[in-house]
Amino acid sequence: MVNKRNKIKGGIITLSLIVLLALAMFFSLFLGSVFVSPGDLWGSEILWQIRLPRVILAALVGLMLSVSGVVLQGILRNPLADPYILGISAGGAVGAAISLAIGSHFLVIWVGSIPITAFIFALLAVFIVYELSKSAGKTSSETLILAGVALSAFCAAILALIIIVTGSLQSIYFWLLGSLSSANWNNVITIVPAALIGGGVAYFYSKELNALLLGEEMATTLGVDVENTRLILIGVASLMTAAAVSVSGLIGFVGLIIPHWVRLIIGPNHRALIPQAALSGMLFMVVADTFARTVLSPMEIPIGIIMALVGAPFFLYLLRRRRMENS
Amino acid sequence: MSVLQVENLVCGYKPKKPIINGVSFSVDEGEFVGIVGPNGSGKTTLLRAIIGLLKAQKGTIKVSNQPVGELERREVARRVAFIPQMMEPVDGFTVEDLVLLGRTPYFGRFFFETEKDYAAVDWAIDELKIDKLRDRSVTKLSGGEFQRVAIARAVAQEPRVLLLDEPTTHLDLRFQVKICKLLWKLRRNRAVVSTFHDLNLASRHCSKLILMKKGELIAEGPPGEVVTPENIWKAYRIKAAVKKNPNTKKAKYVMLP
Repeated sequence: MVNKRNKIKGGIITLSLIVLLALAMFFSLFLGSVFVSPGDLWGSEILWQIRLPRVILAALVGLMLSVSGVVLQGILRNPLADPYILGISAGGAVGAAISLAIGSHFLVIWVGSIPITAFIFALLAVFIVYELSKSAGKTSSETLILAGVALSAFCAAILALIIIVTGSLQSIYFWLLGSLSSANWNNVITIVPAALIGGGVAYFYSKELNALLLGEEMATTLGVDVENTRLILIGVASLMTAAAVSVSGLIGFVGLIIPHWVRLIIGPNHRALIPQAALSGMLFMVVADTFARTVLSPMEIPIGIIMALVGAPFFLYLLRRRRMENS
Repeated sequence: MSVLQVENLVCGYKPKKPIINGVSFSVDEGEFVGIVGPNGSGKTTLLRAIIGLLKAQKGTIKVSNQPVGELERREVARRVAFIPQMMEPVDGFTVEDLVLLGRTPYFGRFFFETEKDYAAVDWAIDELKIDKLRDRSVTKLSGGEFQRVAIARAVAQEPRVLLLDEPTTHLDLRFQVKICKLLWKLRRNRAVVSTFHDLNLASRHCSKLILMKKGELIAEGPPGEVVTPENIWKAYRIKAAVKKNPNTKKAKYVMLP
């Protein structure tokens, strides 16, 4: 649902985002906590085994969190929805932590188990929050946020409990902070399917998301099966969030900042919004992660901390603007 | 040719308390039907049942001789379009974007708009004479302008039946008449069914009226036959005299002191 003129504008923006993303990914390969001269980089283990998978992982995580945000905002008809604020990330982290704790103790770990338990718990979290906050086809912002906060606190407690009981402080603690430092090719391969499926399904449901801009009843009269759409899209958002959490932990606010920023530029049409939010999320995450691992070099700041520092004030600003609009 | 048939319709929000209680009527192509009646008589509920937002407990609704209950949502949307009393203007959408939403039931899963969809949008914009508004933001329109855009969206849907819920309620007199004249024009090649709050307005513009009270149909026919002192008393418990406009030959009620 893009009119002809917007198609050209959208095309230009998409193209510039692709170019910027390629440049950002390329240059971030040269930067890191260890300095390697560009001449030595080619053929070095640091490039192929550390930096390249990390840059790709950052891009994928950015894509998934950002598209999850767009999808949740559309389906819950609420601009403040975000996987982190709704407690979906925390739910996923609990799932991942449980899987990890059981895995390390009973040696039943296998490649897919962490993302899958993360996905189940993320789904559980989103349905709890959604059921609590829906009324008359809309979700009330206040309940949505409060339920998310309560659920996040509950999940944080469970995480802390797991840490204490298992004593595996090192491996689980990074979920609480959010970091891409454990990136490797294995991680990349594990989450690629989630990113492809999630992004693809979200894009091909953009007409439903657009119709939902008019409200659930109008969407129904336009031929949209609202119940079905909601199930599929909430599932897809949880899948992407869980996949992101299982490799990078709790990185918040990406799903809030990026969709808002992109919407301001190209408007609410999901046909353009979803691909451009995906590209912007990738770009944003690659840049932020490069910043995270170089600014205090050789020390590394967990990227979740940077996101919270930027994202939380932005969230407060949105909250304030909504209140001003409502009064 | 009948495009809409409602037979013995019973529906409501609770199974034991139906709001519509056995209503039957039929609408032919080219008709502009006004549904009138006091508050709570079930006018809006009737529209919601026809569009399928509310399931029929008993009876059938047929559009172009096909029962709506047996059709897929998308198929219903290609036959019947609904314009609610208040539609939310989408922040950031232009008029053209909003009208294009009317093409939703024609998009496939992997394919979106085609030249045919653009043609339908152009045609709807042309029909409603809103070409000047095409690139305006929908949040910056007046009530009358927005109502025309909402109707254009429904026309782009290429329905057999256009359903409207009190399209004139929030408009001033000039736009009330303008919208009614527009609906009269739009009735051609399809049917327009609209609820009205204002009996005289409906009587002046519609080709047929349906008068409802407490979920039942108490009169149906050309405005001159429906707008009578007896029917007004039955529906509204108001004593009124009915005059015929010598120019338009349309019936008009006047309240008696």
